[in-house]
Amino acid sequence: MDGGDPLAELLAGGRRSWDGFVRRYAALIVAAVRGVAAGSGDIEDLTQEVFVRLCKDDFRLLRSYDATRASLSTWLTIVARSTARDALRRRRPDSVSIDLVPEMHLKIDAVEPVPKLKLPEALLSPRQREIIGMLYDGEMDVAEIAAALGIDRQTVRSAHHKAMLKLRAHFKADMG
Amino acid sequence: MPGKGSNGADPAGSRDRELWRRSRGVEARVDEAERFLDLAGFADGRLDDDDTARVAALLARDRAAAADVTAARALAEAAVTPADERIVVHALSLVDAGAGAEVIAFPPPRRVAAQPWFSAARWSGLAAAIVLASWLGFDLGSGFYEFGATARSPDDVSANELIDSAPLVLRDFTENSQI
Repeated sequence: MDGGDPLAELLAGGRRSWDGFVRRYAALIVAAVRGVAAGSGDIEDLTQEVFVRLCKDDFRLLRSYDATRASLSTWLTIVARSTARDALRRRRPDSVSIDLVPEMHLKIDAVEPVPKLKLPEALLSPRQREIIGMLYDGEMDVAEIAAALGIDRQTVRSAHHKAMLKLRAHFKADMG
Repeated sequence: MPGKGSNGADPAGSRDRELWRRSRGVEARVDEAERFLDLAGFADGRLDDDDTARVAALLARDRAAAADVTAARALAEAAVTPADERIVVHALSLVDAGAGAEVIAFPPPRRVAAQPWFSAARWSGLAAAIVLASWLGFDLGSGFYEFGATARSPDDVSANELIDSAPLVLRDFTENSQI
């Protein structure tokens, strides 16, 4: 589904490119939205919300797509589902009469909030966090960490190097 | 030798230690564009080992995101049915035909007050209302006094004069009491 480069054409061109993009990916976006909102009866509206989001602010979201990291079809599916889910949450009434909720549902949390992450959890892999934690919090040296984890010393150094690059890049971007 | 490399030197330096300490106190920003790429890259299997492990850990605590990844993988292999033409036409209309890739802004609500005839009509109406209210007030006031003048019996007039403070001041009540 990703033949040609419709995105490059779209971002460089005008109406005709948008036409091509819409005709090419509308079916995929509808299918992705339907996966989130099946039975809601709002498929058309939700699909439009996805398209609006894609072209909003001079295609800001579309411009963030990076072809080296994911295929456009997969990325669009993720974006469409997320957008549709957010829209459905906004439309949902804030409160429901307790009489309308089956008793069994009262025992379950209706909303599953995703706990906010600290920076290392968002940026680093579990192994990188573990190694950095052992190094700086556990005051262990490279040889001890390698022995404790059953990996070679070079792997420890490499993990440390990559992790610090990510943290430095984050703080540099944050400050700059 | 805690925190030291195998050769005794500090492998990371105090700046890295400080960066690590600082990062643990910072809440991660939600960068949706980055998150979409992470999830899509994970679904496509394009991430390196570290990022794959990182995203897998994130998916373990976010069931909706995990469902998105599963759906993306399924849709990549599925044949999707063509979209309704109405949806396509509506989406096409989002971008202006004449201005390149410019998003059409929905027109703002029509401001009736901005039209000149409306302003003139509004002031005329206000003036007419003031004139009408003045005339009605004058007319009602006149009617009230006429009513007072014609409908009272002579006894009422006398009683009124007794009650009315102004005549009481001027009238000499001793006139009829003279012997």
